Amino acid sequence: MKGDTVVSAKGLVKRFGDVTAVDGIDLDIREGEIFGFLGPNGAGKTTTIRMLTMMAPATSGTVEIQGRTVSGLSDPVKERIGIVQQHIALDRDVTVRENIRYHAILHRIPAKEAGRRMEELVGMMGLEPYLDRLVVNLSGGWKRRVAIVCALVHDPSILFLDEPTAGLDTQSRHMLWDLICRLNSDGRTIFITTHYMDEAEELCDRTAIIDHGRTVCIGTPAELMDSVGRWTVEYRDSGTKVCRYFPDWDGAIRFRDSLPAGPGVAIRATSLEDVFLEMTGRDVQATEEVRFRI
Amino acid sequence: MSALTDSFRIAWIDMCFIRRNIATVLITCLVTPLLYLAAFGYGLGDGITMDGYDYISFMIPGVVALTTLTACVSSVATKVMLQRTYYQSFDELFLCSMSPSAIVLGKAYAGMARGLISCALLYAMGLLLTPDLHLTPSAVVLIVASCLTYGLLGVASGLLANSHLTLNLFNSLVVLPMTFLCGTVFSLDSLPGAIQDAILILPLTHSTECLRSAMLGTGVPWVSLAAMLIYMAAFYSLSVHLLTRSRR
Ligand SMILES: Nc1ncnc2c1ncn2[C@@H]1O[C@H](COP(=O)(O)OP(=O)(O)O)[C@@H](O)[C@H]1O
Ligand SMILES: [Mg+2]
Repeated sequence: MKGDTVVSAKGLVKRFGDVTAVDGIDLDIREGEIFGFLGPNGAGKTTTIRMLTMMAPATSGTVEIQGRTVSGLSDPVKERIGIVQQHIALDRDVTVRENIRYHAILHRIPAKEAGRRMEELVGMMGLEPYLDRLVVNLSGGWKRRVAIVCALVHDPSILFLDEPTAGLDTQSRHMLWDLICRLNSDGRTIFITTHYMDEAEELCDRTAIIDHGRTVCIGTPAELMDSVGRWTVEYRDSGTKVCRYFPDWDGAIRFRDSLPAGPGVAIRATSLEDVFLEMTGRDVQATEEVRFRI
Repeated sequence: MSALTDSFRIAWIDMCFIRRNIATVLITCLVTPLLYLAAFGYGLGDGITMDGYDYISFMIPGVVALTTLTACVSSVATKVMLQRTYYQSFDELFLCSMSPSAIVLGKAYAGMARGLISCALLYAMGLLLTPDLHLTPSAVVLIVASCLTYGLLGVASGLLANSHLTLNLFNSLVVLPMTFLCGTVFSLDSLPGAIQDAILILPLTHSTECLRSAMLGTGVPWVSLAAMLIYMAAFYSLSVHLLTRSRR
C-alpha cells in the first residue's frame, strides 16, 4: 500500500569509541516516497544508512524493514533493499559486466532473468560501450553508474542512495535526478542523503534535517519552510548578513520598509538552507575548518 | 548445503579475475616452489638421501606442501584486506543475505584455486622426475584440505590486517619461516629436541608430514592428520569470528 511505513528506525545510536556518530534517530519512511536525509558532512548520514541497510550493527536502537526486525546477516528481507554507497564499492580489477553479474549472482537471480534486467539497466544508463572494460579504467561518473546498476539488478523495492550527486557536474546531477524520479515513479521507495539543500527541495517528498547525529526536524520541504516562515528578509547589520523570517508577505514588506534603505536588503522565498540555518544556528556549508579560518 | 552453494556465488568474481590473469597468477604462485626445487633439490641435495629416500623424492612433497601455503595465503589476505579497506566492496557482501560461513568459505576459494593449479603442476613434475612418488587419492584429498586450510588462514589475516604493511609483516614473520622450517626441505630428526617441539606446533609441519606419506605411499600419520583438521577448524572459526566483529 502506498503510504505504509516500509522502513522504521527507533532510537538508533552508533558510537565509535567515544565518538557518537548517530545519537538517537527515529525515522519512518513511507512506501513510494522519496525521503531526503539532509545534513552537513560528518552529521552521521552514512552511518545511519549503514545501520538501516544492516551493513553495520547499531550500538542501540531497532530497525524494521517492512514491519520485520532484521535478524542476522542472512535475513532474506535484505533482498528488498538496494544501496549505492557514498564511496564507490566495486571490484576494480574485473570488468563492468562481471561486477553487474556478480551482484545478480549474489542475490541468486536466475541467469536468464539477470541477463534481461542487466540489458535493461545497462541501456538505461548508457553503459553498453563500457561493459567489457575493467572498472579501474573508468572515470568517477561512469563508476557511479555501474554502482547504480549493481544496486538495482535484483529489483529492490527500497533504494538507498548515499550522496549520489556529490562531486558531479551540473549536467550529470540533473541526469541523476531524472533517473531517481523515474525509479520512484516505478513504485520504488527512495532514501537519499545529501548535503545539497536544493537537491532535497527539488526531489524529496519528505526531508529530515540532521546535525551532530540528531534529527533537527522532519517534514515536507514546504512544511519545514513554513515552520520557519515562508518569506525571508535579508539585510546587513553592521556588515554581517542577517535573515528574518515571516509567515506572510505583508509582514515581510512592513519589516523591509522599516529598514534603512541600502544595498543587500531583499525579500525572497525561504529555502531549506534558511531552515537549516535557523534550526541549527549555523550555515550548512560552514564546516569547522572554514569557521576557524574566518 | 545452501551455505555451500552461496560460498560458490561469493567466489565467482575472484574466479573471473584468476581466469583473466591466469598466466600472471601461475607465475607468481610457481616462482617460490621452483626456486626451492632449484636451490635445495639440485643445488644442495644431489646425491643425498633423506629418511631413506632420494633427496628429490623427499623434498617434492615438501615443496607441494609449502605451495599449498604460499599460493593460498597471501593472495587471499591481500584481496580481503583491499576489498575491506580500500575498495570497500567487502561491505557489499553484507547487503545480500549471505551467511558468515558462506562469505568466509567463498573468500578462501580464490586461494584454493591458485593452490590447486600450482600443486597439480608440481605434482605432475614430481611424478615425472622420480619413480618413488605415486598419485594417490589420499594425496589429492590432502592437497585440497591443505589449500582450504591456508585459504582460511588468508581470510583471517585479511580480516585482521588494515594495511599492506601489516600483511608484509605477517608474511615475513609467519609464512616465510614456515616454508623453511616445517620439514619441507630437510628432515626434522636432525634438529635439537626443543626446536623440534616448537616446529611441531606449526600447521605446515603437519601438512608436510601428511602429504609426504601420502605421496610416497607410506602409512598415515594420524596425529598430523588430526592436527591438520584442528587447524582447518580453528582458521575457519577465527575467520567467522573476525568477520562478525569486523562489521562496524
Ligand atoms: N568507522 C568509523 N570509525 C570512527 N569514527 C567514524 C567511523 N565512521 C564514521 N565516523 C565518525 O562518525 C561521524 C559521522 O560520520 P558519517 O556518518 O560518515 O557522516 P556523513 O555521512 O553525514 O558525512 C563523523 O564524525 C565520523 O568521523
Ligand atoms: Mg557520508
